[in-house]
Amino acid sequence: MRRVLIVARHEYLVNVRRVGFIVMTLLVPLIGALGLFVAAFFGGQAASLLASTFTPEEGNIGVVDQMGAFTPLLSEYEERISLYLDEEQGRAAVREEKITTLLVIPEDYIETGKVIIISKEGGFGSAILEESDTLRAFFVDHLLRDEVDPALRQRLANPIEPVVVSLEQEGEPEGGPLSIILNMMVPYFLGMLLVMTIFVSSGYLLQGVAKEKTSRVIEILLSSVTARELLAGKVLGLGALGLTQISIWLASSVVLSGGSAGLLGISLPFMVRPQVLILGVVYYVLGFLVYAVLMGGVGALGTNQQESQQLAGIFSLMAAIPLMVSGFMFTNPNMTFVRVLSWFPLTAPTMMLLRMPMAEVPMVDVVGSIVMLIISIPIILWAGSKLFRMGLLMYGKRPSLRQIARALRQA
Amino acid sequence: MPQTILETRNLVKRYNGFTAVDDLSFEVYEGEIFGLLGPNGAGKTTAIRTIMDIFKPDEGTITVLGEPPGVVRRRIGYLPEERGLYQDLKVLDVLVYLAQLKGTSRSTAREQSLIWLDKVELGDWANKKVQDLSRGMQQKLQFVASVVHDPQLLILDEPFQGLDPINVDLLKGLIRDLRSEGKTVMLSAHQMNLVEALCDRILLIDDGKGVLYGDLAEIKRRHAPGTVRLRTSDPLVELPGVIRVEQRDDTYTLTLEGVTAQDLLRELLERDISVGSFEVATAPLEDIFIAVVKERDDA
Repeated sequence: MRRVLIVARHEYLVNVRRVGFIVMTLLVPLIGALGLFVAAFFGGQAASLLASTFTPEEGNIGVVDQMGAFTPLLSEYEERISLYLDEEQGRAAVREEKITTLLVIPEDYIETGKVIIISKEGGFGSAILEESDTLRAFFVDHLLRDEVDPALRQRLANPIEPVVVSLEQEGEPEGGPLSIILNMMVPYFLGMLLVMTIFVSSGYLLQGVAKEKTSRVIEILLSSVTARELLAGKVLGLGALGLTQISIWLASSVVLSGGSAGLLGISLPFMVRPQVLILGVVYYVLGFLVYAVLMGGVGALGTNQQESQQLAGIFSLMAAIPLMVSGFMFTNPNMTFVRVLSWFPLTAPTMMLLRMPMAEVPMVDVVGSIVMLIISIPIILWAGSKLFRMGLLMYGKRPSLRQIARALRQA
Repeated sequence: MPQTILETRNLVKRYNGFTAVDDLSFEVYEGEIFGLLGPNGAGKTTAIRTIMDIFKPDEGTITVLGEPPGVVRRRIGYLPEERGLYQDLKVLDVLVYLAQLKGTSRSTAREQSLIWLDKVELGDWANKKVQDLSRGMQQKLQFVASVVHDPQLLILDEPFQGLDPINVDLLKGLIRDLRSEGKTVMLSAHQMNLVEALCDRILLIDDGKGVLYGDLAEIKRRHAPGTVRLRTSDPLVELPGVIRVEQRDDTYTLTLEGVTAQDLLRELLERDISVGSFEVATAPLEDIFIAVVKERDDA
């Protein structure tokens, strides 16, 4: 164990000082900062453009009341809505830009429901106006002003204020829609983080292994430590390195996006269901271990870094499969395909991270996948170190499948 | 009886049907310099790698410091044939890391690294990157990496490869110093003259098989083809038992048959032939090797 730690420490310290690592680590926050700067610079204009497109200016509406139910205006609308005697006067007001929109309410409104909306450009702004809550309330209030009291009028204008309760999730609803979104987002985020960590640190693992192989240091190392100790040490050291990098990225994103994201980040764990969070961390750690060990073994098989990376790419892809199929899962989180991926050790971590928040996952799947992962880690470490040992000493040629099988057989 | 540090019994290692090491048995005793000799491709490196537990033997047993290979790693130093160090790290950092992996504490590793760097005249390079060193310097650094943790047994695979004569001498001196400190050294080489000058006992390998094994002086005596070198100013008459004479200036190389060098010297004195120098020649190891290999091929 001591030698594992010496290897881990060495790998960490050597790689944390590499120019490539430092540049990579700083580049992401820098790009983020640049993005923010650009956004701040042009953002004001863009925001006002968006706002003007989507929010109709309700203060300047004119109404021509041919039906008669809207005259006189109720006092609460006087500020934003003005009455015109006929359509001509109203159109003139639109042309002179006293008002942006003119509503003509015909005599037969009750029978047809037709309202003519006149504006200078027509288009989107007036279309939105039709859907506006204010307008709906305006009609309800005036049409029913003598028959119905104000509270009921308000209800008629906006009849449903939804409160969603799920019978499948026990207990009272927790914190409404925000909590539901967070329940999905946090594990999804952890899933992404896992895939990212795997890509980042397996990249370093590959680089290191390929370098030791080409520089021939490996034979000295193997005369001092076993392949298993070396591989385990590398996995620990580079895992720590990958976590360092991702922590820096996360911290910088919190700083850059200001307090709100920071607060959100801190409060996340409390809002998510605790069992999802705890299992998420368990899957994250197990998933990282499975992949890092695998990458080390596979990485040693290539004759050069490029080849190693191609071989490793196949496995990186596996970690990402659950992310790709997450679309299906929204409709049926417990379908057979998803359950199979949950049990298979290479897809289990990401799959379960995505699946758990969407539905109550059957206990057998949770226990089964964790047991499979725990069993497979030592097996992969064992096989990985065999491949590692064989691959590292074969210079200039890739081992055949038969040689791989032979290496695995030899105790 | 000297204590056995390393022993192999009927070692066999095959690759894809090719037998690289074929039934090799030998012992290395404590405190000696043992030479593993043979031409390129004879199986020296393969034998060493099985001893170092980098390869598993197909047959046979190996005992290193009383244990199977791979158990005792800390007390063995190893200079592999395939050389290499972390090129982009500092010299001292590389040495400290490798020594730590062998169980040396960080502070001791540092201290010993600096002492050894001085011994191989690399003291000024401790904080330079490995890639800044010349080939010969890296070679010496690699040697230091194999001894810096104070091993009991040192296994050097072709330690003189790529070194200039001055550094060969330096390294020979260091290896001899290690022996006088009681360390055991096993080295492989294909340059017979170097081995001749350094080793106490040898094993000569050809095509993976051991062809000559034992005390070097003993081997040379056994294979000496009764040759005597004589310097004299007198003209040389026909002598009994001398079947061949080669002359260069006043030095004669005489090949004897049926008589010993002792007999010949007596005869010379009796005949009052002046003897400038008289030397019983032993055959160079190279000649012995060639003779033995030829014999095997003929058989």
